[in-house]
Amino acid sequence: MKRYGEHRFPGKLFVVEGIDGSGKSTQIMLLNEWLKSEGYGVVFSEWNSSPLVRDITRRGKKKQMLAPSTFSLIHATDFADRMEHNIIPLLKAGAVVLCDRYIYTAFARDVVRGMEPKWVRELYAFAVKPTVAFYFRVSLEVAMKRILVGRNGFKYYEAGMDLDLSEDPDESFHLFQGRILDEYEKMIAEFDLMVIDAALPIEAQQSQMRQIVRGRLTQAKRLRVAP
Amino acid sequence: MRETYGVLLPGIDLADLTGKLIVIEGTDGVGRSTQLNLLRPWLEQQGHAVVDTGITRSELAGKGIKKAKEGHTLGRITLTLFYATDFADRLKNQIIPALRAGFVVLTDRYIYSLMARAMVRGLDPAWIRSIYNYALKPDAVFYLRIGVDDLIPRVVFSRGFDYWESGMDLHPSEDMYESFRKYQSSLLAQFDTLAQEYDFEVIDASADVRTIFAQLKLGVARVLDGRIRERPAALEAASSEKARPAGSPVIEVKERIPAPVAAASEE
Repeated sequence: MKRYGEHRFPGKLFVVEGIDGSGKSTQIMLLNEWLKSEGYGVVFSEWNSSPLVRDITRRGKKKQMLAPSTFSLIHATDFADRMEHNIIPLLKAGAVVLCDRYIYTAFARDVVRGMEPKWVRELYAFAVKPTVAFYFRVSLEVAMKRILVGRNGFKYYEAGMDLDLSEDPDESFHLFQGRILDEYEKMIAEFDLMVIDAALPIEAQQSQMRQIVRGRLTQAKRLRVAP
Repeated sequence: MRETYGVLLPGIDLADLTGKLIVIEGTDGVGRSTQLNLLRPWLEQQGHAVVDTGITRSELAGKGIKKAKEGHTLGRITLTLFYATDFADRLKNQIIPALRAGFVVLTDRYIYSLMARAMVRGLDPAWIRSIYNYALKPDAVFYLRIGVDDLIPRVVFSRGFDYWESGMDLHPSEDMYESFRKYQSSLLAQFDTLAQEYDFEVIDASADVRTIFAQLKLGVARVLDGRIRERPAALEAASSEKARPAGSPVIEVKERIPAPVAAASEE
């Protein structure tokens, strides 16, 4: 079993991280479009998307069956399936792999739920270290404003209701995201996260991202000449 | 007071866990279910409340593992973590509540089988240990030990070879018999290492059902009375295959029978 940082592949792995409402999904979608137009073989891998595990996670959440330990482990199982069957073979083949959320999401959430930081990091020791991990840094206030427009009602675990922070889902969500933000901030130096100021205009953020990615694409395979 | 193997899960007070945790370990087809089916009524007759649990019996992940294994498509890390999820769910929802209520928890395998399987599949031993280091240390682990030559007739003549029990994911080009031999031999070697590290009480599982049960009863009674395990030098040597000359039997058993109950595989 190769550990974090020991993998060497021709492909590239770019991941985006940040609290809900940081705008990371918009940014990775724009990056995806650009890379495809440049002729790279791009594949998207989403958090919680393993066909083998996804339904169990969904049922566990719906029935509120998950404790901090099982919440952590079922997400790690999903991630392992994607790593073994999807991400690693793609990187071997020279693809550009994009992940909306990666192991740092688990580190933030599981630690906020009371799992030991060291334990959670060791749990994901099999993960490939990303070529670049972008962290979309935003204040809690700005993120909340973006989310609360057009959202009605949070789900139980999404709002961190299992943590008993508040009876009110909106307030619980707010407190929960604040704690997650604190965990992300601690991880910037630990994992060398590439910080993007998510308060900037969308175009400015995307232009920074593309500049950084462009410099890291050696060895990645192009499918065809750019149009 | 009860301890864990390193990490404490949030929301658990170890001082509350007053019951007893007894583990029966052993490889596939060794006769664990037969012994558990004898132990439970015996304990209940003596007035102990018993809860039993085993691999893939969690509400959260049990069915999912079985379903995923049918397709034979699980990667080794994924499979390991799936089992870890199942274990964590049973620990939280079956084992801990029962120990809190003062029950005797009989568990058909524990983290050791899961660790052995993962290590046979080449995963990092330090990583495996850390994944299970929130597990509670049991009051006793009875390891039903058998050699691969004694194991084969039991499995073949009761339920036949199974894909996973034969480690076919590891040796896809072999036939089931060859693969079973290889896989179970490496599994048994891992168990022997774990037996030392985690201080298992080794029981010779090539003996007949009654002899094994008699030994188990002695061991379990000792745990329930709170007595400390006595390990005279002679017994200690006899319980370890390595410590005795090859070919000398641990217990004199003339009558050798195949597993009487074709135990349903949880694989």
